[in-house]
Amino acid sequence: MMEDMTAASPGPRTSVSGGAAASPADLAELLRRSARGDEAAFADLYDATSRRVFGLVLRIVRDHAMSEEVTQEVYLDVWRSSARFDPARGSALSWLMTIAHRAAVDRVRSSEASRRRDDAHAAATRPVEFDETSEAATTALEAQRVRKALLTLTEAQRSAVELAYLGGYTHTEVAGLLGLPLGTAKTRIRDGLIRLRDTLGVPA
Amino acid sequence: MSPDLHHLSGAYAVDALDRAERESFEHHLSVCDACRAEVAELSDAAHSLAVLGEATPPASLRTSVLAGIAQVRPLPPLVTDSSLVSAADDPSTPVAPVVPLFRRASTWLAAAAAAAAIAVGGIAWSPWSGDAPTLSAVQQVERADDAATVTSHKGAVTATLAYSRRLDRSAITVAGMPPAPDGKTYQLWYVGSDEVARSAGFLTAGADGHGEAVLEGGIDGASAVGVTVEPTGGSQAPTTDPIMVMAVA
Repeated sequence: MMEDMTAASPGPRTSVSGGAAASPADLAELLRRSARGDEAAFADLYDATSRRVFGLVLRIVRDHAMSEEVTQEVYLDVWRSSARFDPARGSALSWLMTIAHRAAVDRVRSSEASRRRDDAHAAATRPVEFDETSEAATTALEAQRVRKALLTLTEAQRSAVELAYLGGYTHTEVAGLLGLPLGTAKTRIRDGLIRLRDTLGVPA
Repeated sequence: MSPDLHHLSGAYAVDALDRAERESFEHHLSVCDACRAEVAELSDAAHSLAVLGEATPPASLRTSVLAGIAQVRPLPPLVTDSSLVSAADDPSTPVAPVVPLFRRASTWLAAAAAAAAIAVGGIAWSPWSGDAPTLSAVQQVERADDAATVTSHKGAVTATLAYSRRLDRSAITVAGMPPAPDGKTYQLWYVGSDEVARSAGFLTAGADGHGEAVLEGGIDGASAVGVTVEPTGGSQAPTTDPIMVMAVA
């Protein structure tokens, strides 16, 4: 799980911008301070997480301007609801990413947005330039672990998980894209995530 | 838990359910600890994928985010429902039976407006979905051809209001609701756009946290439905702040 990964890679967080390199405890503390109106703490939270949030939103939404809009909404929402973060229910990073993912998916599912995404999709067939080359050391380690973990999934599981999570498609759409019988995509997604969880949960 | 619902945990964790499925699964999540724990774990696993595609946002975004938050007040922490109930029940809390009705109702409408962001209307019920002969009163409302639903979450409590303008009826279903404290009851209210609340009967939550009721009276003229904690036997007008408010269209 994410806590394990970040805890296992204690890098210098000052040199990393936005790669979620701060420890989970740090992020939770930054959220707590944000809830009390501490704007500097929120700026630190933004700096520690924005590359990951923006990267995910961009991956799903595609359109650059729209991704900026969504990312801004996400952070405003995080600021507004920071007091509602409950550490008993999961890590701060997971909470934030859940908000970001939901926002990006909701955006592409509105019909107006999906039309724009299709247009942008054509423009972006030149692949969106994720700056993987500039990955910070800690992020690179983590990414390597995730890539390895993905290899433990079956091809069908991996495609289903990626189309759903990174593509923002519903399980019905995933079934259509993969030519699966209706209803089976959600099982593939769940099985894939369970395997991913189990593999990542084992310390490297 | 039904195997069908159980299998939705993964799709839910990656937001791959459509709106109606998401709603009903969240309803289930509010009462199923096992699924909640699984969703948390699977979300973590899914979010690990985001590390593969980080991208640096433009500096201007940071500027506008920080400018934006400077103008927004963070929400206070959520008060859990049990503490809401006990606050209403706490003798040290001044009882406020004389709060002017319009003021009370304004609070409601404000709460309903805030909640409207998560309201979902126009759920289509399939008229051919079988068990018509034994429809309960609640189901009759839920399955009206013009039925719409609004769902509200507060802490572990999920309340879903189904209503039909054509039948002029509404029905509420709750999950994860603690029983009303001794000497208290959950009372239902229709709140009109004239900001007057009229009693719409009572709601009882069972030991399993589940409760449902068809509201008394017609929904005509109502712009919101609310639930308050009242002394057993009910009140003429609400005497406490609502624990749930749902706006109706």
